Amino acid sequence: MAALDGMTIIALGLPFIAALVAPALVRRLGHNAAWVLALFPFFVFVRFLEFLPEVSAGSAITGGFQWVPSYNVSFSWFIDGLSLIFALLISGIGTLIVFYTGGYLKGHAQLGRFYSFIFLFMGAMLGLVISDSFLMLFVYWELTSITSFLLIGFDHGREASRRSALQALVVTGLGGLSLMAGLLVVWNITGVTQLSLLVNLGDEVRASPFYLMALILLLGGAFTKSAQFPFHFWLPNAMEAPTPVSAYLHSATMVKAGVYLVMRMNPAFGDTVAWETILPVFGGTTLIVGSLLAIRQTDLKLMLAYTTVSSLGLMVMMTGFGSEHAAAAGVLYLIAHSMFKGAFFMLAGNIDHEAGTRDITKLGGLRKLMPISFLAAMAAAFSMGGLPPFFGFLSKEEIYYGLWHADPWSIFMTVVAIVGNGLMFVVGFAIAIKPFLGREVKTPKHAHEAPLLMWIGPATLATGGLLAAVFSPIFHQYVSSPMVSAVSGEAEEVTISLVPHIGMPLLLSLVTIVFAVLVYLKVDSARSAIAATLTAIGWGPDKGFDQFVSGMVRLSRRVTKIAQPGQLDIYMTVTFAAVAVTLLAPMIIFDELPAMPAWPADAEIHELAVILIAFIGLGAVIAAKDRLTAIVSLGIQGFAVALIFMLFGAPDLSFTQFMVETLSVVILALVMTRLRLTLSDHRPTGQKIGDATVAIACGAGFMLYLLAVTEVPFRSYLSDFFIAYSKVIAHGANVVNVIIVDFRGTDTLGEIAVVMVTGLAILSLIRVRPGWKPGMLAENDPDAPTEEKK
Amino acid sequence: MEALFSVLVGALFAVSIYLFLSKHIIRVLMGVAILGNAVNLLIFTNGRLLREVPPVIAADEYTLQQAAANPLPQALILTAIVISFSFFAFLLVLGYRAFQELETDDTDEMRVAEPADEEAPPLGY
Amino acid sequence: MAATSSHSVDLSQAMNVDPTPLADWLVVMPVVWCLLAGAILLMLRKRTELQASIGIVALVGLCLLDAALLWRVLEEGPFTMVMGRWLPPFGIAFTVDLLGAFFTMTSGLVALAAGIFGRDDVDSTGRRYGFYPFLLLLMAGVSGAFLTGDVFNLYVWFEVLLISSFGLLVLGSEREQIDGATKYAFLNLVGTTLFLVATGYLYGLFGTLNMADILIKAPELRQTAPLMTLVCLYLLAFAMKAAAFPVNFWLPASYHTPKLVVSGLFGGLLTKIGIYALLRVLVMLFPIERAELGWVIAVLAAGTMLLGVLGALAQNDTRRAVGFLVISGIGMMLAGIALGSPSGLAGAILYAAHSMVVMTAIYFAAGIGGRVSGSFLLSRSGGIYPSHLVLAFATLALFLSMAGLPPFSGLWPKVMLVKAALDVGEWWLAGAILVTGFLTTITVGRIWALAYWKPRAADAEPLDPASQKVPMTSVIGLGMLTVLTVVFGLWPEPLIAISQDAARGLIDTSSFVLSVFPGEVPQ
Repeated sequence: MAALDGMTIIALGLPFIAALVAPALVRRLGHNAAWVLALFPFFVFVRFLEFLPEVSAGSAITGGFQWVPSYNVSFSWFIDGLSLIFALLISGIGTLIVFYTGGYLKGHAQLGRFYSFIFLFMGAMLGLVISDSFLMLFVYWELTSITSFLLIGFDHGREASRRSALQALVVTGLGGLSLMAGLLVVWNITGVTQLSLLVNLGDEVRASPFYLMALILLLGGAFTKSAQFPFHFWLPNAMEAPTPVSAYLHSATMVKAGVYLVMRMNPAFGDTVAWETILPVFGGTTLIVGSLLAIRQTDLKLMLAYTTVSSLGLMVMMTGFGSEHAAAAGVLYLIAHSMFKGAFFMLAGNIDHEAGTRDITKLGGLRKLMPISFLAAMAAAFSMGGLPPFFGFLSKEEIYYGLWHADPWSIFMTVVAIVGNGLMFVVGFAIAIKPFLGREVKTPKHAHEAPLLMWIGPATLATGGLLAAVFSPIFHQYVSSPMVSAVSGEAEEVTISLVPHIGMPLLLSLVTIVFAVLVYLKVDSARSAIAATLTAIGWGPDKGFDQFVSGMVRLSRRVTKIAQPGQLDIYMTVTFAAVAVTLLAPMIIFDELPAMPAWPADAEIHELAVILIAFIGLGAVIAAKDRLTAIVSLGIQGFAVALIFMLFGAPDLSFTQFMVETLSVVILALVMTRLRLTLSDHRPTGQKIGDATVAIACGAGFMLYLLAVTEVPFRSYLSDFFIAYSKVIAHGANVVNVIIVDFRGTDTLGEIAVVMVTGLAILSLIRVRPGWKPGMLAENDPDAPTEEKK
Repeated sequence: MEALFSVLVGALFAVSIYLFLSKHIIRVLMGVAILGNAVNLLIFTNGRLLREVPPVIAADEYTLQQAAANPLPQALILTAIVISFSFFAFLLVLGYRAFQELETDDTDEMRVAEPADEEAPPLGY
Repeated sequence: MAATSSHSVDLSQAMNVDPTPLADWLVVMPVVWCLLAGAILLMLRKRTELQASIGIVALVGLCLLDAALLWRVLEEGPFTMVMGRWLPPFGIAFTVDLLGAFFTMTSGLVALAAGIFGRDDVDSTGRRYGFYPFLLLLMAGVSGAFLTGDVFNLYVWFEVLLISSFGLLVLGSEREQIDGATKYAFLNLVGTTLFLVATGYLYGLFGTLNMADILIKAPELRQTAPLMTLVCLYLLAFAMKAAAFPVNFWLPASYHTPKLVVSGLFGGLLTKIGIYALLRVLVMLFPIERAELGWVIAVLAAGTMLLGVLGALAQNDTRRAVGFLVISGIGMMLAGIALGSPSGLAGAILYAAHSMVVMTAIYFAAGIGGRVSGSFLLSRSGGIYPSHLVLAFATLALFLSMAGLPPFSGLWPKVMLVKAALDVGEWWLAGAILVTGFLTTITVGRIWALAYWKPRAADAEPLDPASQKVPMTSVIGLGMLTVLTVVFGLWPEPLIAISQDAARGLIDTSSFVLSVFPGEVPQ
């Protein structure tokens, strides 16, 4: 492990520090705190930018320290092209989001708290992408889920927010557990706990019998996080969060964590049939479903959210497709998407903020009022639609390069890509054109251009999309190629540029555009057709979530009613049934039953008589028709037991037993006969049989095991010792007493404690009444606690 | 002799447990009393049995001159008796107070802590 | 005396002739200290204004003693003191190993938090009728249970803590309490009686009660004696103490009824005593029999954790939900015991320590939350997040910790347990742990959304302004435990190292035995 690098640690910690100081800063500076707070992510951005030359030269930066040495967990990072570009996106877009938030939530009472959450998320996300150790990855992964939960539920007064927050937590939480299991399985397969080492163990991983299990578990994490069908539903709902969150977490960064994971896994897990089937199938389905659902929406944010879903599907599909260019296409698209989608979300926020609505059908003609936003929106739409001269064009070309092969599977996937891309094209231009061009529509608020803080972000991202495409050779050298190399596990070079190559990909791009334009013209009827279809289906995973949660609550209620019915006699019955099973089952299974005992020939008649009395007493207790008889019979068996002690050499025991028994019977009779209780112990016959079965089974168990134990030769060395030294050292003639006060005096100490506590507990039971008032004490019976004195 | 005692112990347990399974607190309390006896006799038997000779050293001896009953179980039982009687006393008062507060000695009707008609948690969010 | 002067006797045959080194007294000090403090508090019962101060000082002292004990064990390994200087196994030996010291320390901290929290949570009646004496005597029982090296003595300490818990449970005598206490008391009586019965059988088989002595005798006795039934009986007795499925009834029936500080203390400590006893008796004394029962314990574990979390999901009362979550956690620890491997046991031990802290804190938090929002019922409470932000975040941290999510202490034992289950190919047990974690997330997420985020109903009764102020002692009591779960979530190394060493000490018992019988050849 490379040496501890202080600056990187600081960079990782900065967002968390920012989270701590944000509320205070906001309190002092109001929304202008944005200018100060933006320095934090900007510093992180610069810090990571410094790594660019080294990483683009093909080396990876590692560092860290032992975190939990006892469990072989390190806090270590591994910064290669993939991690670095992600880190730059997170900190770079993060800086813009900090600006944007200042404008968007200007004057909001909880702006400081909001910043804290955003920074917490930023720190978590940064940690996620540079983690080398599995557990560190998992910790940060879950942290992003938790911060996302807090951010989605930011507007906690509304039920929809709370529902969406919980939904995100549950879905991504499920994925988190899947991820954890997957990582632990990989740990078991390979013995390594670091991603950087795993990358080189691809052959071992793929050959393992647990490969498929590990793969499915890890993908469970990736697919839930990256909103792949059928786990996509939480992402559009997450739009309940304020727009900066949508732009940052739910389009540019967090939802890409799953894609990040898939890309990270590619060298070790890729290149198998399972990989190249599961990923394209899920990715492709997500792409189509997402883009169809996007068409259906009229809310700007929801339109964007569903295209995010489909874009994520596209990335997963490309990563898993398995051809040379496909992975590169996934990478390029990811970068392009972060820029144009981030920009789009912020613009949607601007429109909402300025015009007072984000319903696309209620917007129009904002071009003159919001010129910068309009320009940025057009740039984003061009990039999203894959038109030159924007970076989206490059990624689109690369996608078709990657997909186009002359076999049915490739052709099928190409068609999927065309449809998906075409539909996203439609949505992108709908958002860029509809609100801005055409007739001015009266909006709830009178719109003007958004303040500087709010357009600086989208404008930067839109420009970025342009510059990255124009200077593509440099961009590829420093950004795309290192990232693609990291994803494919070997050095790769990306060469695609704005200069169109006449060929299949360009043709496919044209096809996409033509298809898109056709759909665009018919977008209203397409929307109603999709809406009608969805109504016809009537069920979706989103509804399923509600059914799942309420179903679980109902199920748990039913189970708990059975498992915890609230009746003491049921509790007792189950408990003693367990006792019976515990005694009898092992004796039978493990062959520990006693041998048949012989009749004790030495038993003397008076002994037998006493034992008989005990039996009679016991029988009478059960048979007694009324309480007093039962209590008296109770005394009979108790005195019989006391006599038995006397007969078998235990006079102390016998006396104590007499005393205790007398006291018990007297108190029981005194206390209980004063109450108007049910006279007899009436039980229905069925219950009688059941109770008797349990009782007899327990009794038989205790008896049999006692027989079995007493068949084993006894070791009396403890008592031999006590007898030998009782008098000579401890100076007591009565060995039993000496044991109590000396050899085992500590038991007696505990026993005294018990008596002491009992006294006080009884006192408080008797004296304290519900709703006790100080004056009531004297009115109560000063009943003394009953204690036994030995 | 151990065999005979084992049967008696078994019977004590069976009766005690039968009483424990009653719905009436007073029967359960009797069960508690018998349970104590059952356990004590069980420990006693586990220490094996010997008749009549208590483990008391004669005044002019330094140690026991003849085989005597095993003293250790007796000591353990003495501890256990006191503890179980303390418990019995507490439970008795508790049962008495339960009757006063809950106005029943039928455990099926003691449903204050776990009401039968408990409200379900909200199904919304 | 005349008798001894004429009868020469070699004392060294029966006793340690050298006086017990002062440092060895440390092993009994927590118990003696608590008993003394408890007795003093009992005598000063009517000086209610002094109770809290004396109690808290005594608990601070207890924590210092526990810390010294833990320190000594970490430095020098297990050590033993035999009461009255009798040679073991004849006198009662107190033997502390890392497991005992670790649990004693953790329980001490929890008790201190409860002592502080209780200062304002318990009114003067509660103090007059023994909150602090009960608390200290409970801790005497708890510490004694963790430190004793004698099985019957363990039973005695069980009874001390049980009767103290009765006292705490009924403090206040509300109807609900009396009802809950009735079920709690009768069922727990059955549990401890089973323990006593098993110990009677143990004596009948082994002729000894000293744990180290049992360890020495067991290999030989195992050939002939019927040990399996004995071990099953212990399993049931301790499972009942730990509130494991299917003998968990007493816990949900009672834990929500007493004062919140008491619920917290119980939720943190009592069930863990059962887990401790399982570790000590089943894992350490009878490892072969435990291995034989591994699958049974695993089934009980899975049942306990799932039933627990389902129970929690079904509740409208947050306190009852927390009670079920306690049970669910017991299942986690049982899973580690079922696996029995060093890593599984380490996971169980770490989980127990984590759970002591977190469950207590969750009860405290739920209690304060219920008070400031006017109701413990999810259907009626709400709005805690806007009104008490810090409390809301502390609760969220504890909830997430309970669900095993980072960056809180619950993550680590969960990872260790899942990994340990996967290591031996128990996929389904690992799956059960993960599913439980998932359901726990839903449960706590719902509670948080409904009681903390959601505003109070518009038609709800207006809140008493006096109830809105959270006493400083509550803040400290809850705060110190919350800080613990955060700190040890971020920096788990010391606890994981201790848990692993403690687990190793349960499997390789030679240092335990040697501390009792210095001359003994390790098995």
